[in-house]
Amino acid sequence: MLEKAELEALTAELEWQRPRDQAPIRPPRVVGRRLRLLMVGWEWPPSHSGGLGVHSFELCTELAKMGHTITFLTPFPGPYTPVEGVTFRCPADEPEEPYPGAYTIGGTAAGWHEGDIERYNAWIAGFPVGGHDLIHVHDWFGTVGASALARRWGLPLVMTVHSTEYDRSLGHPWSEILARERTGLQNAGRVIAVSAHLKRQLVERYGIPAEKIRVIYNAVRPSERLAALSGPRRIVLYLGRLAAMKGVDTFLRAAARVAPTEPDALFVVAGEGPEFGRLLVLAAHLGLSDRVLFLGKVTEEERATLLASASVFVLPSIVEPFGIAAAEAMAAGIPAIVSKTSGIAEITNSVFTVDFWDIDEFASRISELLAYPALRREMGAAGRRSVMREGWEERALQTVGVYFELVKDGRH
Amino acid sequence: MVLYLHLHQPWRLARFRYLDLGSGRPYIDEVRNLEIFRGIAQRSYRPTLTRLGHLLDEFPDFRFSLSVTGTYLEQAARAAPDVLDTLRRIVRTGRVALLSETYYHSLAFLLPPPELHDEVELHRAALQREFGVHPTVLRMTELAYSDELARFAESERFHGMLVEGWEGILRGRPPTYVYCAAPAPTVMLLARHYMLSDDVGFRFSSRQWNEYPLRAEKYVSWIAATPGDVVNLFMDFETFGEHHPASTGILDFLSALPRTVRSVPALSWATVDEAAELPPHDTLSAPTTVSWADQNRDLGAWLGNDLQRSAFEAAKKVGVLARSSGDPEILETWRRLLTSDHFYYMYVGGHGADAGVHQYFSSYGSPYDAYANYMNALMDLRRRALERISVEPGPGTMGRDRTR
Repeated sequence: MLEKAELEALTAELEWQRPRDQAPIRPPRVVGRRLRLLMVGWEWPPSHSGGLGVHSFELCTELAKMGHTITFLTPFPGPYTPVEGVTFRCPADEPEEPYPGAYTIGGTAAGWHEGDIERYNAWIAGFPVGGHDLIHVHDWFGTVGASALARRWGLPLVMTVHSTEYDRSLGHPWSEILARERTGLQNAGRVIAVSAHLKRQLVERYGIPAEKIRVIYNAVRPSERLAALSGPRRIVLYLGRLAAMKGVDTFLRAAARVAPTEPDALFVVAGEGPEFGRLLVLAAHLGLSDRVLFLGKVTEEERATLLASASVFVLPSIVEPFGIAAAEAMAAGIPAIVSKTSGIAEITNSVFTVDFWDIDEFASRISELLAYPALRREMGAAGRRSVMREGWEERALQTVGVYFELVKDGRH
Repeated sequence: MVLYLHLHQPWRLARFRYLDLGSGRPYIDEVRNLEIFRGIAQRSYRPTLTRLGHLLDEFPDFRFSLSVTGTYLEQAARAAPDVLDTLRRIVRTGRVALLSETYYHSLAFLLPPPELHDEVELHRAALQREFGVHPTVLRMTELAYSDELARFAESERFHGMLVEGWEGILRGRPPTYVYCAAPAPTVMLLARHYMLSDDVGFRFSSRQWNEYPLRAEKYVSWIAATPGDVVNLFMDFETFGEHHPASTGILDFLSALPRTVRSVPALSWATVDEAAELPPHDTLSAPTTVSWADQNRDLGAWLGNDLQRSAFEAAKKVGVLARSSGDPEILETWRRLLTSDHFYYMYVGGHGADAGVHQYFSSYGSPYDAYANYMNALMDLRRRALERISVEPGPGTMGRDRTR
């Protein structure tokens, strides 16, 4: 046991050894003039279930740091995690809200109905624009309203695509949503895709000219590493929504192959979603009831603890335009196995890529990472470096670059 | 002028999954290796050897040296026997010297004896069988050299060894003289002139190079203007037609060399054996190993990171089992796994230029793929060796043994 004084001395020494430039406080980089942006969004933390909420939050935070102001439209009433420079507007705020009660359902995307989208878009279309320079819409939810608004006020429109209806529906798109995606893609002066793979899809499936599409990847925010859970079991982690496109069955089937030879491996499925019940049944059917832990929705802190404790991260998505979950795991130094089409594989080779249907290969990759400590260590460290190379600030700057393709930058 | 070209192809591994452990699947995808060999034979080996043959016919004073690994010979025999025939024909002229090395182009020099001796012996026997030739000059894998290796060369009665003409070993001396090894004075050292060698090997087709395009006249004039006894131009054989495709004019450049050299009275060709007969200028010592790879000229290309070191350490331990298994097939497979290329693929890019070179030569998507696949094969071999010597696997340090 260390004496208290020793501990303090050691802590002080560690403090001293920590490189000074680890978290540089530098002035935000500013390009061109400050813009007033109208962002047509969907979810916003803390009530978010997927990557879109994270993306909106991080992007707006960095944009606001650079001096741009953002009016963020969301169908959901707060609370919103506040960011200076970002104001939130939702239909429920309106004193003469035309459809009373329509926007107070649960406050999240869960329980959202078809007609609600219609009403959300009608509200957007009539939004009182006040001196905005540009409208930026994310995915399909608000494209119809945003397009009408842009046309009415003569404002440029930028659309970011995080995933497409083809992908989310695994090839059985709902024509209603497809039409909304098309509306946005056609009206937008510039389209931002979160990976080159997604860009190709937009060109091939939606006929959008490649010249107006820009690829801007997602990023991860450097986070505090919490203390790891202690114990003899090594955690193989899936963390994300339990949606069909995420391929969590593959994770379970691979686990079934690995489990017999890796008695101390614990397979953890963290997250919630429509597939939950089916996956639970599948795990039982595969004889994995005592080897797989379903955690359901996890808090931020639980999430951080999991990321500090896991040995291997698996994202076996059938479709994964980017894969923020894998990027976050890599940022925590966990070696990741992702499916080949994941956007993240475009920015790093410090990740194992596997065909989403290849259960044996997923199982082998998991076993290899569990069996070879040098591999786990080296790949974890390299993966961390590669996803930390360009952060949200970089992505926001790239986004501003796209804005200024449409807005005069007014540089003096 | 000493022109020395190196011929080598590794047995690349197939994807051998962790789940394949114990399955009896082969580690090596022979079909794919031979396909690669045929491709390179088409672009490089065949056209270049043919040209070299013509040059030998046309210029009686033209001579050069070749090293051919055992794994190259195995693949050539299966994939392109005509390449092997051409090789035999040009060696028969008596003006093409062959060099000794390890059969498997391996890192055996880092293993305890007698592995290095055995592999050099295997290679000697192969050259004797294929060409009826008994070389007197030794080159170690990737031109590795150290005092210890000089002593080895002496004990094996070699007259010469090749070294990288690197400042770390020459210490201010020019690479254009013959030296003798400080710890083994009977071993003459030929130092690669890396500037002039890399002008052809790396820079020839680079449009960014201010000497582009390089013509034989200009190149020979540089050599003529270089003071000293000998200019050692050592390079990969695939420089001609593969690294620089024929469309860059590299083969015509090669063809023009003997004629151009003939017009310069001060220049003549020599094989490595002949150059090693020149009187030594001084002695050289190399307490640590130097090589011709990357910008650091050390062993970093194969054993620079933890993946590489852990894989090599594991291979070392499996080697003990492979030897004691008494099974020649297991021993051969283990030696194929010692081929330096496998470790080269596990290099994690650090320096920009080197990382590019490593990726160019790699058959994997990433160093992590390379490592995992290699370790799976090695663990499977370990299991097989253990089965032969019917020893229960102890609490080993290299991962647990698996059987399905």
